[in-house]
Amino acid sequence: MKTRTPMTLVAAVTAAALLAACSGGTKASDSGGGSKTLTLASIDQGSVEDVVKAFEKANPGVKVRYTTSGADQYQQQIRTQLSSGTAPDVVSVWPGDGNPGATYVLAEPGYLRDLSDQLWAAKLPDAVKSVAQYEGKTYNAVFGLNGIGAVYNQQAMEKAGLTPPETWTELLAFCRDAKAKGTPAFALGNQDNWVTQLVLYALVATTVYGPDRDFDQKMQAGQATFAKSPWTTAVDKYLTMEKTGCFQKNPLGTNYEASQQLAATGKTLGIVQGNWVIALLKGKNPKGTFTFKALPATDDPSAALIPAAAGAGYGVNAEAKNEEVALKFVNFVMSPEGMNLFVKKQGSLPSLPGTGHEVDPSLTELATFIQDDRTVPFMDQLWPNAKVQQTMLSGLQEIFSGQSTPRELLGDMDTEYKAGS
Amino acid sequence: MPALLLFAFVVLAPSARGVYYAFTDWDGLSRDFSFVGLGNFSDMLGDADARQAVWHTLLIAVAITVVQNAVGLALALGVNSAIRSRNLLRVFLFAPAVVTPIVTAYLWRNLLGPDGAVNSLLGAVGLDSWEQDWLGDPDLALWAVVGVVVWQFAGYSMVIFLAGLQSVPKEIHEAAAMDGAGPVRRFWSVTRPLLAPALTINLMLSIIGGIKLFDQVHALTGGGPGHATDTISTLIYKDAFTLGEFGYSIALAVVLTIIVAVASTGQYLLLSRNEKAAS
Repeated sequence: MKTRTPMTLVAAVTAAALLAACSGGTKASDSGGGSKTLTLASIDQGSVEDVVKAFEKANPGVKVRYTTSGADQYQQQIRTQLSSGTAPDVVSVWPGDGNPGATYVLAEPGYLRDLSDQLWAAKLPDAVKSVAQYEGKTYNAVFGLNGIGAVYNQQAMEKAGLTPPETWTELLAFCRDAKAKGTPAFALGNQDNWVTQLVLYALVATTVYGPDRDFDQKMQAGQATFAKSPWTTAVDKYLTMEKTGCFQKNPLGTNYEASQQLAATGKTLGIVQGNWVIALLKGKNPKGTFTFKALPATDDPSAALIPAAAGAGYGVNAEAKNEEVALKFVNFVMSPEGMNLFVKKQGSLPSLPGTGHEVDPSLTELATFIQDDRTVPFMDQLWPNAKVQQTMLSGLQEIFSGQSTPRELLGDMDTEYKAGS
Repeated sequence: MPALLLFAFVVLAPSARGVYYAFTDWDGLSRDFSFVGLGNFSDMLGDADARQAVWHTLLIAVAITVVQNAVGLALALGVNSAIRSRNLLRVFLFAPAVVTPIVTAYLWRNLLGPDGAVNSLLGAVGLDSWEQDWLGDPDLALWAVVGVVVWQFAGYSMVIFLAGLQSVPKEIHEAAAMDGAGPVRRFWSVTRPLLAPALTINLMLSIIGGIKLFDQVHALTGGGPGHATDTISTLIYKDAFTLGEFGYSIALAVVLTIIVAVASTGQYLLLSRNEKAAS
C-alpha cells in the first residue's frame, strides 16, 4: 500500500478498524425508509460515526447504513464492489494516484460521479484540487489537510534561549547554538523508514516547488527529472543539516516512538514531523506547549511553502442507487459543520477556508499557509507508482548509513518514475 | 485416506493455485492479469535487492544454527549438572522461548536503541567505547538480529538437548569413569553419540527457522537501514503488500520454499547417516 495520508494515521486507523472488524462491520441504524436510505463505506473509523449522526439529525427521515474498515481491507473490497455494481452510494477515496482506492485509479474507469458541479468544488485550494481532480474534473470531496514542518517544544526553546529560525542561514545557526547547549535542534527517528522522507519533503516544498509550482506536470510530461532538478539541492540541504548537527546522534537507530520521546521531554528542541505528532507529544508531556512552523529552506521567508497533504475524502458512486441523498451527504461533509466535526476528531485542518473552525493555537502557521495557498501536496501523491517512494525511503536510510549517495538515490527514483504505473 | 483428502483440499490445492500466480503479473487486486512464464524468476536474477536478501537469509540461517545450538548445548550441559538451582535456571533460560517473537523483538528494539539499556549498561561498567548504534549501523544490524533470535531460542534448543542428555544412562558414565575416562573424554565418547537425535532435531528446527525468519527482522529493523537486513521473507512481504507486486512476491516465496526444502532434506539425510553411524 502506498502512503497517501500520513502513515501513522493510517496505521492507527487500521489498528482501530481491525479491532472493530471483529465486532462486525455493518452498523445499521435503519428500519426502512426505502429510497431514503444511504449506503456508505468509510475508512474514517472513529470520526465518521459523529458525522453520520449529525447528518441524520439534519436530514430527518434519512437513514445511513455504513461500514468502516481499515485501509488495506478497504482497498481490497472497494474495487470488487465497484466493478460488480455492489458498491455503496458514497465511498472513501484517497487523493491523487497510486493506491487501489485513489482518485485517479477509480475515476479513470468511470466508477465515480463528477462532483465539479457542487458548490465547494471550485473553492478547494489548488494544492488540494491537484489531487482531488482527474482530468480537470473533481471527484473527491477532500475535507481534511495535514502539513509537515518543524514542531518546537516551547519550554525547551525558552530554556535554551532560542527562537524558531525563519531562514536557512538562521536554521543552521540555530542548529549550532542548540548543539552547543547540549540539546540538539530536532529529533529524527529514521529507523522507521517512512520518517526519513519528512525533512526532505519539507525542504523540497520550498526548493523545488517555490520556483516552479508546475514541477509535477513537467515530471509527468517527461520534461523534468529528480536528478536534474532542485531535488538535488533539497537532498544536499538535508545532509547539510545532518552534518551541522541539527539532529540527535544515531538517527538510524532511533525509531518514531523514541524521537517523540526526545522532543516531548526537551532532550531536543523540536522535531520535524507532521502536525499529527503534536497530539502524541502532548500525550507524552501533557504540560508541554508545541508549535508548528514551516521548516526554512531558503533565505527568503516569503517564498517558503509547506507540504500539506489532503487526507482521504469521499466520492459518489457513479451508479449510486440514491444519488440525491449521496450528494447531500458529500455536501454535508464539505459544509462547515461536517468538516469541523471531521477535522476536530482527526486533529487535522479543514480543506476549505472560512469554516469557522477554531484552529488550535499550535497550528496557526499551518492554517495561515493553507489559507494563503502556500502549500504543495506530499510529493508522492502525484507519483505514478508506489516504488518511487519506497526507493526513496530505503535510499535515504542508505545515504545516512554511507551505503549510497544522493546522486544514486535520485537516479534510482527517476528510473522507477519512468517505469510508470 | 480421509486425512489425505483433507490435506489435499486444505493445503495442496491452495498451494498449487498459489504457485500458479508466480508465473503471472497479478497485482493482488485486478481480475485481469497475464501469464508471464518464467518472467518473475528471471527478473529475480537481475534484482539486486533479491540477491542481497538471499545472501542475508543464508548468513542468518548459518549464524543462528551454529550459535544457537552451541549456546543451547552449553546451557544444557550446565543445567544438567548437579548445581542446586538448576530447576530454577531451566525455567529462566526457557522462558524467552514461550514469548511471542514479535513482542521480544519490540522489547529489544528499545533495549538496543542509541540510549537503550544495552548501551547504558556498557557505559555504566566503563565500556563506553563498546557502545554502538546496534540497529542503525548496517554492519551490525544483521548480527544484532541474530543475537536477539539466539537470546530467545537458545533456551528452546537447551530443552531438547537436555532431554537428550537425560536419556544417557548413568551406568554408562559410571562405567566409563571406572575405565579412567575424564570428563572431556566421557562427553566426546559417551554423551555426544547419544545426543545425535537431539542434535538432528535442533539443527533442523534452527535452520528452517533461520531461513524463514521474518517477525524479528520486521519488528527490529524493518529490513533496514536501507536493505541491510532484508531477508527473503521481509522482501516477500514488502513486494506484495507495499508495492502490490503479488506475482513477483509469490515467485520469491516459491524460491524460499525450494531453499527450505533442499536445506532441510540435505541436512536430514546427512545427520540421519551420522545418527546411524553413532549408534
